[in-house]
Amino acid sequence: MHRLTNTILALRALSSGVWVIACLLILSTLLILVRKPSDQGDLQFWVYSPEHAKMYVPMIERYEQSNDVKLDITIMSNAAIQSRMMSGFFGGLPTADLIEVEKAVAPQAFMGPIEAIGFTDLTDMLVQEGLLEQFNQPSLNPWSVDGRVFGLPHDVHPVMLAYRADITEAAGIDLTQAETWDEYFAMLRPLMADTDDDGKPDHTPLSFWYTNQDLIETLMLQGDGQLFTSSGQPTIHTERNAHLLATLVSWCLGPQPVAVDINEWSAAGHKAKVDAVAIGYIAPDWMCSIWKMHVPGLTGKLKLMPLPAFEPGGRRTSVRGGTMLSIPKTTEHFDRAWEYAKLLYTSPQVARELYREVDIISPVKSLWNDPVYDEPDPFFMNQRKGRMYIELAPNIPLRPSSPYNKQAAIDVRDAMGRLAKYAKEQELYEPEQLMPKARELLETMQRQTERRMERNAFAQEDLAPISEDSQ
Amino acid sequence: MSAKVIDRNRVLFSWAMLTPFLLLFAIFVVYPLIQSAFLAANQTFGPGTRTFVGTKNFQLLLADPVFWKSIGNTFIYALGSLFIQLPLAFALALALNSSKLRGKGIYRLIFFSPQLMGLVFVSILGALAFEKRAGLVNQAIAFITRNEKFLEIDWLQQHVMATLILISLWLYVGFNMIYFLAALQSVDKSLMEAAEIDGAGPLGKLRHVIYPSVKPVATFVILLSMIGSLQLFELPYILLESSGGPDNRGLTIVMYLYQNGFDLGDLGYASAIGWVLALILIALALVQIKMTRAQEVNA
Amino acid sequence: MSATNRKLNKAALHTLLIVLAFITLIPYAWLIIASLKGQDDFFSGIFFPPGEGFLGIGWDKLTLNNYRALFDLGFEVNLINSIFYSAATALFATFICAATGFVIAKHHFRGRNFITLVVLGALIVPPTLLLAPGYELLYDLGLLDTVWGLLLPLLAPAFGVFLFRQAVIQSVPDELLEAARIDGCSEWSIFFVVVLPLLRPMIGAFMLITFLGMWNNFISPQIVLQTADKQPLSVAIAQLRGVYKTDYGLLTAATVVSVLPVAALFLLLQKQFISGLTTGAVKG
Repeated sequence: MHRLTNTILALRALSSGVWVIACLLILSTLLILVRKPSDQGDLQFWVYSPEHAKMYVPMIERYEQSNDVKLDITIMSNAAIQSRMMSGFFGGLPTADLIEVEKAVAPQAFMGPIEAIGFTDLTDMLVQEGLLEQFNQPSLNPWSVDGRVFGLPHDVHPVMLAYRADITEAAGIDLTQAETWDEYFAMLRPLMADTDDDGKPDHTPLSFWYTNQDLIETLMLQGDGQLFTSSGQPTIHTERNAHLLATLVSWCLGPQPVAVDINEWSAAGHKAKVDAVAIGYIAPDWMCSIWKMHVPGLTGKLKLMPLPAFEPGGRRTSVRGGTMLSIPKTTEHFDRAWEYAKLLYTSPQVARELYREVDIISPVKSLWNDPVYDEPDPFFMNQRKGRMYIELAPNIPLRPSSPYNKQAAIDVRDAMGRLAKYAKEQELYEPEQLMPKARELLETMQRQTERRMERNAFAQEDLAPISEDSQ
Repeated sequence: MSAKVIDRNRVLFSWAMLTPFLLLFAIFVVYPLIQSAFLAANQTFGPGTRTFVGTKNFQLLLADPVFWKSIGNTFIYALGSLFIQLPLAFALALALNSSKLRGKGIYRLIFFSPQLMGLVFVSILGALAFEKRAGLVNQAIAFITRNEKFLEIDWLQQHVMATLILISLWLYVGFNMIYFLAALQSVDKSLMEAAEIDGAGPLGKLRHVIYPSVKPVATFVILLSMIGSLQLFELPYILLESSGGPDNRGLTIVMYLYQNGFDLGDLGYASAIGWVLALILIALALVQIKMTRAQEVNA
Repeated sequence: MSATNRKLNKAALHTLLIVLAFITLIPYAWLIIASLKGQDDFFSGIFFPPGEGFLGIGWDKLTLNNYRALFDLGFEVNLINSIFYSAATALFATFICAATGFVIAKHHFRGRNFITLVVLGALIVPPTLLLAPGYELLYDLGLLDTVWGLLLPLLAPAFGVFLFRQAVIQSVPDELLEAARIDGCSEWSIFFVVVLPLLRPMIGAFMLITFLGMWNNFISPQIVLQTADKQPLSVAIAQLRGVYKTDYGLLTAATVVSVLPVAALFLLLQKQFISGLTTGAVKG
């Protein structure tokens, strides 16, 4: 009795905050205890793109009816996939059975010793089943390390130029005649006048900016600017790269810049596209579906053409983005996951769906004859855009899978930012004038990358890594 | 009961009460602290794969321009909070200190309230508010100045550190004000009156009466805000979507530590960064203690 | 100073304070209104969408759809997790720190000075230094991606022990403890019945600070937890932003849901909370 009164006395003395928090703890514990474990399928599938997920769902439902395998799709951001996948690999925790990994994310997993890569090495399976030759070769490159393939390519992602044909045609300009960027910019000069007197040109020829890393990479690749050799050595400090850097910066600056900064993703940027702030937009195949979904105001106003080249006869396309489907080593259902992977990535139905739903052309060459790619697309004034992209597909530039590529690409963007600052300060707007500074900046970046690579003790053969854990 | 038994009981009680803390503290603070010294001499790829590299991590770190950039950024932010945030907080506390002021409690509550929003949530809000063209900040500036040009201010790409300092103003001025307010309560009323009789103006009172009695709290707040600022992470990490921003303009020391340790899996290099940061913080704390001691001796 | 002068001064002061208060409050208003706007209306006005309604505002354009979409995505799971983690950390850390602080302040035994020294020393160890080795330790213990792995390292903050030690020294007189002992109270009941009530302000304040600290903690759950179902709001909202970057309505709604409940709670308890924040500085 005495003890009880004591306890009550003590409890009464506690402040209200303590009570509130104690109640919250009890309540939340109860809620967590009664929480139904989410209905988990047999296979877990992580994707980063809501568009991809939407497309897979009907396929998966059909497959589930004929097979007894239930697949759960989780949509996560790239950052979330990266952090959860890597912490899974590092910590030996289960991740998912299938993961769609974006191009910028995958190389993180290639950083350590090859046996510590968390993805299953699919090379032997691909060879055995005769799938390897069926893929467009450049599309395998970003997912390969030392000739071993760690994921199925999802796409080719060739790049074209989308331009506001409604405006150019009304002005009597035939942009398809433009073979080089210089010709393209020259043809559009008349549209740059400021007729509405708002202090800005009515239209600027190209949506590009020296801070947009993706676009920089795309255009550098188009112009054969290479950051790494095929064997993984950095080749950042080259005359070609300096030339491209200077050229791209010169587009954005000067009294009458030919490029304008339009956010590719935000609602404000979408509005600018509808308002035709820029005439031309860099358009990888997947971008078409983004516009259809988020910028319906562009319907019937755009046409596609191959990218103008940097020099006469130069490459008329590039590559941007990319996804692979990987199977982490930790999966307990490799066979089922492998069957699913093949269904999602190599079947003709999915290829068709992929094109119809999200405008992406398949990396499987034997499927390129499919008539779906010849269907006219009303969004692009009934152009047969699938065929146009496929014609460019074999010419896409090769990309490295170097784990240092992402950082090097960021370095190049930063170099470009510094070059632009220099150009503004010195009021130098001609590519030739910017070359010395561009060389100097690239040399710094080259050294930086080399230093980063030297730091990686795992890449040095004489230092055999001590693996404490065989996972 | 003999005195001995009581003593034994008390000692037993003491250790029983200490056990949970000591266990947790030993396992989760002391052990990792010791480990971090070993870890700093290794390169790892996740916790499962490692290789010994000796002092190479520290050599590389000192020659790593990105690390120096992150130190520079972090110090810009810390100095920004020291020279902008704290004076503002102090001024606000002075303004609110008058006992006759009506609505004092409400003002205090309003200025303090951003502190209730966590850094993560403030970062999400900040990313939306500072967006080019569509964000609240640019729209407000453009609206007030009637000049559409201001819609184009590219906070998140070009002026990253300024953005961080502005957001932290909103977040922390009211918080630090609370400390100064509490300190102002301890200013001796009779001294104030004496100063007034001596004909001291507001500045004179500030210098001779208020400043000396607020000083201990001020030094504490300065130290606290420096320690906090130097460990800035969430704000830029979320604002810049886990990158350092263009040209690493928003990369802080802890972000660089995180990138190396948890994105790239090199816990060794991350530990080395952690040690450098710890040394900076300890040096700061020592300087602070020295200065306080010196002042006490002088006084 | 003349009376008019003083009045003018006062008016100026109030004007200044009101302007500052306004600036402080605007982001909230913007946040809440934005969370009620549809995607199409987001850019139609800084605050309310223009329309036919009262004050020229399109009231009918405001919608709760963003909140519906948010809970369709299962956001309530993260909300409950946040409550659980924060409440558990607050309660247990407060108890552990109070017990430890009391013992090292009032009990004499061998090793006491050493422990006190270690605790004070630990105050200068930045938590960021422990991130990498702490992660490795959780890996070794098999605690990654578990609730234990998240909470245990946070239950023994040296700062809390330090605060409670100060509070005990200030507000628990030795004579009272002796008197209780003479009355025949056991050491345990002295702690619970005599000491804890005396520490009431500190307990309330420290608990609230710890609760809020955990609610807003991002880096620990980001590193330790991997499964989506276990993540608290702070991590969930950051990941939401990754996928729905341009869905301003959804993001603002998520921010409101993450901030409003805890902010309301703390405004109710602000006296305890604020007194707790300043204890360390002013008295310590």
